[in-house]
Amino acid sequence: MITVDEKKMEWHQGMTIKEVLDKMENVKFCAAVRLNGKLVSSPSFETTLIPDNAVIYLLPLIAGG
Amino acid sequence: MADFTLKEIKTLEYVRPEIEKGYTDHSLHIDISSADIRINPVDKMVKEKFIGGKGYDLWFMWNAVTGKTRWNDPENAICIASGPLGGTPGYPGGGKSIVTTISPLTGIPIDSNVGGYFGPYIKFAGFDVLELTGKSDKELVVLIDGIDSKIKIYEVSGLTDDSYELSMKLTDYFDKDKPVNISVVSTGSAAKHTELGCLNFTWFDAKRKRVRYKQAGRGGIGTVFAHKNIKAVVARWGTVSMKINNPADLEAMKTVTKLHAGEINTLDPKQNRMALVGTTHLVPIMNDHDCLPVNNFKYGQHPESHNIGEAVYEHIFDKGFDGCWRGCAVACAHGVKDFVPFTGPYKGQKVFVDGPEYETVAGCGSNLGIFDPFFILEMNFYCDTYGLDTISIGTGIAFVMECFEMGLITKEHTGGMDLSFGNRLNSLELLHQMARGEGFGVTVGKGIRKMKAIFARDFGADAAIMQDIGMESKGLEFSEYMTKESLAQQGGYGMALKGPQHDEAWLIFLDMVHNFMPTFENKAEALHWFPMFRTWFGLCGLCKLPWNDIVPEDNRQNPEPAKVMKHVGWYADFFSSITGRKVSPDDLIPMSEAVYNFQRLFNLKMGYGTREHDTLPYRSVGPVTVDEYLSRTERYDKDLTDNYKVDIAGMQTADKVAILRKHRESRYEQLKDAVYKRRGWTENGIPTVETVNRLGIDFPDVMELLKAHGVE
Repeated sequence: MITVDEKKMEWHQGMTIKEVLDKMENVKFCAAVRLNGKLVSSPSFETTLIPDNAVIYLLPLIAGG
Repeated sequence: MADFTLKEIKTLEYVRPEIEKGYTDHSLHIDISSADIRINPVDKMVKEKFIGGKGYDLWFMWNAVTGKTRWNDPENAICIASGPLGGTPGYPGGGKSIVTTISPLTGIPIDSNVGGYFGPYIKFAGFDVLELTGKSDKELVVLIDGIDSKIKIYEVSGLTDDSYELSMKLTDYFDKDKPVNISVVSTGSAAKHTELGCLNFTWFDAKRKRVRYKQAGRGGIGTVFAHKNIKAVVARWGTVSMKINNPADLEAMKTVTKLHAGEINTLDPKQNRMALVGTTHLVPIMNDHDCLPVNNFKYGQHPESHNIGEAVYEHIFDKGFDGCWRGCAVACAHGVKDFVPFTGPYKGQKVFVDGPEYETVAGCGSNLGIFDPFFILEMNFYCDTYGLDTISIGTGIAFVMECFEMGLITKEHTGGMDLSFGNRLNSLELLHQMARGEGFGVTVGKGIRKMKAIFARDFGADAAIMQDIGMESKGLEFSEYMTKESLAQQGGYGMALKGPQHDEAWLIFLDMVHNFMPTFENKAEALHWFPMFRTWFGLCGLCKLPWNDIVPEDNRQNPEPAKVMKHVGWYADFFSSITGRKVSPDDLIPMSEAVYNFQRLFNLKMGYGTREHDTLPYRSVGPVTVDEYLSRTERYDKDLTDNYKVDIAGMQTADKVAILRKHRESRYEQLKDAVYKRRGWTENGIPTVETVNRLGIDFPDVMELLKAHGVE
C-alpha cells in the first residue's frame, strides 16, 4: 500500500510514478512529486520505481521564483 | 561608544498621520542636496488610479524627472513604498517594500520588490511613500522615527561601507534596547564603483540576535543611492498589531489571514517545503527539465547540479523561523551561520550569510560552471556585503567567462586572470576588485551592455557574437531561467517593462512542459493576465510566493490551475477588508493595468518603450553555436522538420543553426504582434489613445507624449 496526497493506493512490484499519475484525474500539470521526501521530476516519472509503503505528494504547478 | 560620528544637520518634528484603511494618505519627500524635508497629502486621484506601492513610486518619479534625466542627475528619485495591505502581521508575504529609480543600466524605471521591515515601518511612521532626490557633498544618514515623530538628517563620518556591519551599528545606535524597532536601508562599497549596486533592507532577528537582510537587487538602485551619498536610511517603529492598518473590516481581515496562513502551514511541508529550503527546491526541478542555466545559458542541465540544490542546502541552512516579515508562514528567507569565507576581508572569520535563493545558486553557481555550495555562499555573502546584485553579477561574469573561452578577451585584458568557466577564485576576485574600485572587476561592474561596447571598441572583440551571447535586454541582465524552448517566456523576458526579470511573467512550465498555450493568442493572453496579476502584489505591498508556490489541495481540479483562483479570491477579500473598497477577483487586473501601462509610457518618456527595445539576445531564443545545436540535435532537428517543414537531409549543422534562427526570430516577432494587440498597444508597442483613455491615465502630459510619437 502507498499513500498519494494522503489517499491510500494499492502497491505492486515495478510500480512507477507515471503509472500512479495515469490512474489519477487532473494531473496534467504535475511536473514534480515528492517520493518519500525526495524530488522526482517529470522526465523520470516513467523510470522511477515506487517502493512499498511510499508516501508521495504531488507538487504544485511549477511557478518560478 | 560608537566608533563613528553622526552630526545632526536637520530635524523636522511632525504630527504623525494616522493610518486609515491601509493608507496614511501622506508622502515624505527629502531633497538630499538641501536637506529639505516635506510632507504632503496624497491626492485622491493618485490613490484611486495608482493604488500604492509601485504605483505610487512611479507617479512620484514621473513628476520628479524629465525625459532627459539620467540616473546620476540629482533630480532622479529613489522611491520606496509598501502598499495599503503591507505591514499586516501574519498575512503570508504581507510586508514588502517596492523600490524604484531610473536605472544606470537601462535608463528607464527599475522596480524591485523586497522584504525586511522598512516599507511597513515608514508607513506606520506616517508615510505611504518616501521620495529621495538630490545629491549630497557629504555622506548622510536619514532617520524616519515614527515613535518620536521626528525626521532627522545627519552627516556621518567614520562609518563602515560594509553593509552588514553598518546595519548592525546603526540598529544598535538608534534603538539599543529594542533593536527590532529598527530597519536600515543601505548599500555597500561596490555600489560606488559599479552600476550593479543593490540595496539591503534589514530586520532584526530577535532569536538569533542579529541583523538580517533582503535585497532590492535589480537594476543598480544601490548605485544611485551611493551616488547620492546616502549612507543609510533608517526607519524606527514600535508595536505592530493586527489593527495597525486600521482595516475597514478587522474581523474579515483576520478571517482571510487565518485561512491563508493556515493553508500554508498545512500544505507547505507537503509541497515545496519553502519554510525549510526556501527556493532551492527549484534547482533540481529546473535541471531535470533542462532549464537551469549552465555556462552562460548555453546548456540547461549538468550532472553535478545535485550538489547545489535543496538536498544540500537543507542541511546547511540554520534552523529556525526565517520570515522577512512578522509572522509570515512561508518563512523562506533562510541563512547560514558560522560560514567561513576563504577569500577577501572576512577570510577566516565566521560570518552569517543571508541566502542563497534559487537565483543566486543558478547565477553564481551553475551559470559559471561551478557546482560548489560553499563557493555560492561566499559569492552571496560578498555580493550582499559589498552591495551587489547577485543576478547581474552571475549573468555578467558568465558572459565574461564565455568571452574568455572564445578568445574574445584574454588575460591581457583581464589583468592576468584566467576567467574560464569554473574558476572560483577569480570570480571572487572580481567582486573584491569591484569593492576596491580597481582592475578588470570595475569593467565587469558596468554590466553586459557596456562591456560589449568596451570589448568591441578597446579589445577588438566580435560585436555580433557578443550580441548573441550577452544575456541582457534593455540593458538589464537576465535572471536565471533557460528560455530557448519556451516562446512564451521569451516574451515574458523580452516584453517585461524593466528588462528580463522573472517577477513579471514566469510561463516556462505552462508553455514548454505542459503545452498549455499552443497558439500565439494563447500566449498573448497569458502575457497579459500574468504580468498584470503579478504587478498587483507590488501595488499592495505583498510577496507573490504565497499566491502560487503553495496551492490548495483541490487546485488541480481548476481548469486554469496556474491562476490559483481560490487565492486570487482571498486577495480580493484581503484588499476589501483593509481598504473598504469592495473588489472581486475580476477587479484586480484592471487595477494593475493602469499602472502597468503607465510604466510602459514612462519608458517611452525616457526615450525607450517601443518595439525595438523589446529585443532579445539569440542565446535566449535558440542555439547560437554548432556545439549548442549538437547538444540537443534531436530537439532542434524535430523543430525544423515538424514545425517549420524544413528538409534537413544532408544539411550541415551550421546551416541548420542559421535556418532555425530565422524561423525562431520570426516567431518571436509574431508573438510581439499578438501581445501588443492583446495589451491594447500599437504595432510599435505603445499604448493606444483608446487604452490610456480606458484606464484613466490620459493625463495631459501623457497625451502629449503619445502625440509626439505619432499616436493620436
